[in-house]
Amino acid sequence: MTRKPASLIPDLSRRQVLGGLAALSATSFGPVTAWASANGKQLNVRLYSEADDFDPIDASGLIDEMLYNCIYRKLIQFKPGDEWGHQLDLAETIEQVDPLKIAFTIKTGQMWSNGFGEITAEDVKFSMERIIDPAMKSRNKADLGPFTHVEVTGTHSGIIHLEKPFAPIWTIALPYITGNVVCKKAVEAAGGRINTAMPPTVSGPYRVVEQRPGERWVLERNPDFGGTPADFDRVDLIMIVDESAAEIAKEAGDVNFTAIGPGSVARVQAKPPAGTELRVHPALFYVWIGLNIEHPKFTDPRVRQAIQHAIDVPSIVEASYYNVAEPSTGIIAPGLIGHRKASLIPPQADYAKARALLTEAGIDRLEITLNVLNNVIFTTAAQVLQATMVQAGIDLKIEVHESGSFWTLGVASDGDRWKTVELVMKRFSMTPDPFYATAWFTTAEIGNWNWERFSNAEFDALHEAAMIETDSAKRDTMYQRMQDLMEESGGYRFITHGVTPNLYDTSIIPATRPDGIPLVQYFRAA
Amino acid sequence: MLKYIAQRLALAVCIVLVATSALYAVMVSLPGDPTTVLLGPRSTPEMRADFRAQMGLDEPLPMQIVNLWGRLLSGDLGTDYARNRSVASAISAALPHTVALVFGAISWSATLGILLGAFSADQRGGWLDRITGVLSVGLLAAPSFVVALYSLLIFGVTLRWFPTIGAGETGSLGSRIWHLVLPSFAIGISWVGYVARIVRASMLETLGESYIRTARAFGLPRRVVIYNYALRVAILPAVQVLGVGIGGMLSSAVFAEIVFSRPGLGSLIYESVSGRNYPVVMGAMFVAIAFFVACTLIADLVNIALDPRQRNRG
Repeated sequence: MTRKPASLIPDLSRRQVLGGLAALSATSFGPVTAWASANGKQLNVRLYSEADDFDPIDASGLIDEMLYNCIYRKLIQFKPGDEWGHQLDLAETIEQVDPLKIAFTIKTGQMWSNGFGEITAEDVKFSMERIIDPAMKSRNKADLGPFTHVEVTGTHSGIIHLEKPFAPIWTIALPYITGNVVCKKAVEAAGGRINTAMPPTVSGPYRVVEQRPGERWVLERNPDFGGTPADFDRVDLIMIVDESAAEIAKEAGDVNFTAIGPGSVARVQAKPPAGTELRVHPALFYVWIGLNIEHPKFTDPRVRQAIQHAIDVPSIVEASYYNVAEPSTGIIAPGLIGHRKASLIPPQADYAKARALLTEAGIDRLEITLNVLNNVIFTTAAQVLQATMVQAGIDLKIEVHESGSFWTLGVASDGDRWKTVELVMKRFSMTPDPFYATAWFTTAEIGNWNWERFSNAEFDALHEAAMIETDSAKRDTMYQRMQDLMEESGGYRFITHGVTPNLYDTSIIPATRPDGIPLVQYFRAA
Repeated sequence: MLKYIAQRLALAVCIVLVATSALYAVMVSLPGDPTTVLLGPRSTPEMRADFRAQMGLDEPLPMQIVNLWGRLLSGDLGTDYARNRSVASAISAALPHTVALVFGAISWSATLGILLGAFSADQRGGWLDRITGVLSVGLLAAPSFVVALYSLLIFGVTLRWFPTIGAGETGSLGSRIWHLVLPSFAIGISWVGYVARIVRASMLETLGESYIRTARAFGLPRRVVIYNYALRVAILPAVQVLGVGIGGMLSSAVFAEIVFSRPGLGSLIYESVSGRNYPVVMGAMFVAIAFFVACTLIADLVNIALDPRQRNRG
């Protein structure tokens, strides 16, 4: 009888070995997971792009503003909620004393970090005047309109002077990018522009502790902040370009707040991930299909009208926005001054009418090209149009462009492409004042951002007049008329304002503008 | 030998020069005015004209290329005017992440691939060889982006073992490595199969060599013959392929960096091309080309070091 040699390894079945390995791997990953999540009271917010720098003078839009909201203060800020409005921030009081003057006082004892002292009216003056200084070449100068200067009347008080009345001062200039107050002393010491690796000083609820280019900005609670202390020890503003990747990161627990694509709304609503909430906000941006009015194919207004009638807006909204969004009536969204209740041409296509208009113009079949961005929303819309416009006798060719090529299609300084451009589907971002929307469609913008090459003297005059009109009812009528003129030109078919679906943890109480843009500085823990 | 190395170095410099110049010419011929894209809708025509001059885009193309080389040879990669920083600083922030990703992926995939290939050759015709063969081809056929997405969903979302985004906490090596696991797994997986197939084929050829038969005849243990003698020669083709493969890895790194929202050279180039940020594109491309050329050169030199036949050729 042979005896099995003694072994240090006990006899184990295959099942026992596998079970042991599984237990071992679970144990080994336990500490890793615990170590990774032991990061205190932290908020991770996803941004779709990266902020440029810390200077509002060079800010390129919303993403920079989200960072500034956390680290700087303004006289007034957008009020979180479902209706547009503002609330006091640095200002103790602020009022329009006459159409050309706004008097303000700022709260006392509000400090700059890193020993730069108290925030004063001089800082407000410096911050606003440097943006309109021609030598500074700020691309945000237009947001301040006819602003001329700030008269400092005391350490904590001053008067904002305007050359002409300017209604958007309350909706764009003060609560948005140009309203950020920077520290005069620190900026002057930095050579006039804040292009340092870290901001020399901040005043908002958070301060920047680390910048990881291409990845995230790490913020921490600012101990020198003079308002209600921030609720989180640390806030990470994380750059995730792709919406699907952001959604996965949210599901994995790596971000607490993110916007998701409209295509995901139905799925999330049907089966919401545990501990998350979805809120769909009506957005402000506007999507439209524009025709190059000067193109030889479109000189006959009946051809332009035929195309307007051949575009079925509900089909596009259904296919590209999964019926989450609504068809729009113009470039100004509901809730804003100038919003139209209805467009002149109904959103539904009228193929018979389109065909009749073409026949009247002596055209049997029309071949046209639609240019779109290489984004699934736009390419889907283009395919829908291609399939449906045939019913009106229109053959649509689709040209898809990457962003660098697309955004210069109609720009005259980029060669002769604007001459051959026919139809373009575009989306513009928007601020809560109609002035910001109509500014791109004036005659002066032809060859710049007015790719439809729409020129109308009444429109131009109304744009100027509405900018300085302070009576809201009158402004409302003026902006509605301007959109009528755009539509009557045959150069525009308005599609939608879209939506902003935000997915977030129930452990946080997010604060957003009515259009769903996060106001991270006001986020709280639940 | 020295002459050979000098020739290879000269060739490497020429490749970098030609490739960088050609890329610059292609880039500036793309539609899309960089000043319009970079400065955005609120810029005035005057601001755009100033910006063009600042970027040197108002010069004729040959002059722009000469200027580019003047800058590169003086060690100046240019200025990222969009973010008011030097291109060198943008690249130095991104490059370590890409290098870590590429070398992380190569390290584990080459190690596993070489072992699988050697094991497979050793067990030629056996059922383990067949399993390894199927596994190798299967891995070879797995597209990196599919692996990336599924590994993200399985290990990131469902099991929550690994993070789905970022490159980890600054100053924490553990966190950095932990964040590197899924992306390097995704871009390295197909290389396991590729390297395994190459090593197996090379190993079978080597095992038939007379010096191996001699070693066996001397009674050297089988493991020593295979892993100390045969494998040393059999991995030469794999080393060569891995050197060239760095280029492929760099391409895979672009999407891995996007899928996993990691910083790196790939995402920097992608973002800069879309934004027509010419100085950053050129600086990053120059570094990527130089990196690729350096890797192939190193692979050649390693081959020479490992293979006495090549050493004696020069």
